[in-house]
Amino acid sequence: MSQNTTGGFDPNDPFGNWRTIRDANLDAWAKGMTSLVNTEVFAKAIGLQLDTLLAASAPVQDMVNQHMETYLAKMSMPSRGEVVSLAGRLTNIELRLDDMQAQLDEVLEAIRSLAAAPAPVPAAQPAAPEAEEAAAGEPKPATPRRSRKTTE
Amino acid sequence: MTTSSAASFDVEAMNQKLYEELQRLGKGTETMANLAANRMNVRIGQTPKEQIWALNKMRLFHFYPQTPPEQRKGIPLLLVFALINRPDIFDLRPGNSFVEHMVRQGYDIYMLDWGRPGPEDKHYDFEDYSIKFLPRAVRAMQRHSGSREFSMCGWCIGATITTIYAAMRPDDGLRNLILLTAPLDFADKEAGPYNKWLNTEFYNIDELVRQYDNVPGEIIDYGAKMLKPVENFVMNYLKLWDNLDNKAVVESWLAMNTWVTDGVDFPGAAFRQWVVEFFRENRLMEATLMMEGRPVDMKNIKASVLNVIADKDHIVPNCQSTTAMDKIGSKDKLLLEMRGGHIGLMVGSGASKRTWPQIDGWLAKRSESK
Repeated sequence: MSQNTTGGFDPNDPFGNWRTIRDANLDAWAKGMTSLVNTEVFAKAIGLQLDTLLAASAPVQDMVNQHMETYLAKMSMPSRGEVVSLAGRLTNIELRLDDMQAQLDEVLEAIRSLAAAPAPVPAAQPAAPEAEEAAAGEPKPATPRRSRKTTE
Repeated sequence: MTTSSAASFDVEAMNQKLYEELQRLGKGTETMANLAANRMNVRIGQTPKEQIWALNKMRLFHFYPQTPPEQRKGIPLLLVFALINRPDIFDLRPGNSFVEHMVRQGYDIYMLDWGRPGPEDKHYDFEDYSIKFLPRAVRAMQRHSGSREFSMCGWCIGATITTIYAAMRPDDGLRNLILLTAPLDFADKEAGPYNKWLNTEFYNIDELVRQYDNVPGEIIDYGAKMLKPVENFVMNYLKLWDNLDNKAVVESWLAMNTWVTDGVDFPGAAFRQWVVEFFRENRLMEATLMMEGRPVDMKNIKASVLNVIADKDHIVPNCQSTTAMDKIGSKDKLLLEMRGGHIGLMVGSGASKRTWPQIDGWLAKRSESK
């Protein structure tokens, strides 16, 4: 391998030299083009280019859409607009479901925190002995569940 | 040694160079053949994750933690990318992935994928994305993580969306907001080609949206590449050609190319709003952008803000981000200028050595559970 280089030029490396020249040219070209695209003239040119493209494609696209709609109607098939509308309605349903799930989560969270909260100490009331006996064989109501949990 | 001139010409050295070049061409041909035969597909977005929520085309992913519970940060981090490219750039390749780095630092990472809009999504604008969809994704993340408080990181247009969210929902639990190359202030009409292109009367935005519903990703990609045409259309491919014998460079190039060419359509209404209300009328900065019947005012932002800009960003000039700092109402806010371009800021060896540690350092102090 040769180290005979003069100012980046190595007489024994034609490919390397070619690359160096290429990169220097490209850098200059890149700087020029970057400046060019940042001008009002270029902005107008690119806008006109797009405008021309849109002006040319609009009648074709409108015609295709019209024919396609007629064809699909004759074939008893839904049009593009109808499918799009259906998709939009599905998204709305998804949004509602998402909100419902969030609300359900909130309700569940509230129930859990209620269940975990310590029950208020009931005021001491002398219970009638006959009422206690009557309640002994029945299922326990929902409210005592909390106090039962807190005593565990 | 056979030389005609010892100082300048050496036949043996020249032969050696030619041999090296031929060897390189041989390897390059093999690589080209593999590329042509699709045998060198590089997968991007490989950090293990699960989908935890979906709505319309949107999906929310959670990355599996890779650190013991005691080393994890207290609050989750939600990543939000722009509407016009895939969010996989946050998780490009193993060893070159912001997500992978942050997961290893103990962050609980979530990533929102906006998906690919269809014609039925053409009427969605920034209000929908910032106020309708993003809060729902946040809600799903809060439910999944069990933490009401969270951090959010928005990149490019994703940063604009997260800024709007932070201004409109300051009490929803957002503690930290990281903005990466955020386009927020469009007052300087001379800043960057986009401003000139989109402000011209020749740019018929209504007709474009009418014909296409959503602006095709190819047009967006073409516009982005035209900002630096020689670099993107010529030098990019020459870089690949010059390195065909270097597998690591080729794979890295392929990964980036896979992401760049996988463009996403810009929803019609959002694109129209982007051009008219952001670029032309600068409504976000002037607090005249209306959502939910009230102006979006960045003064309402309460979260700590880290605004990261890139010194060589040709897509979002620095002035589009820096001036917004005065408008943001947060008491704790920091502007950080890093080396790199719009994407290079967060991808590549420079990013892993400079940007990611800076973000991690700032966020770690603000991510403890209260």
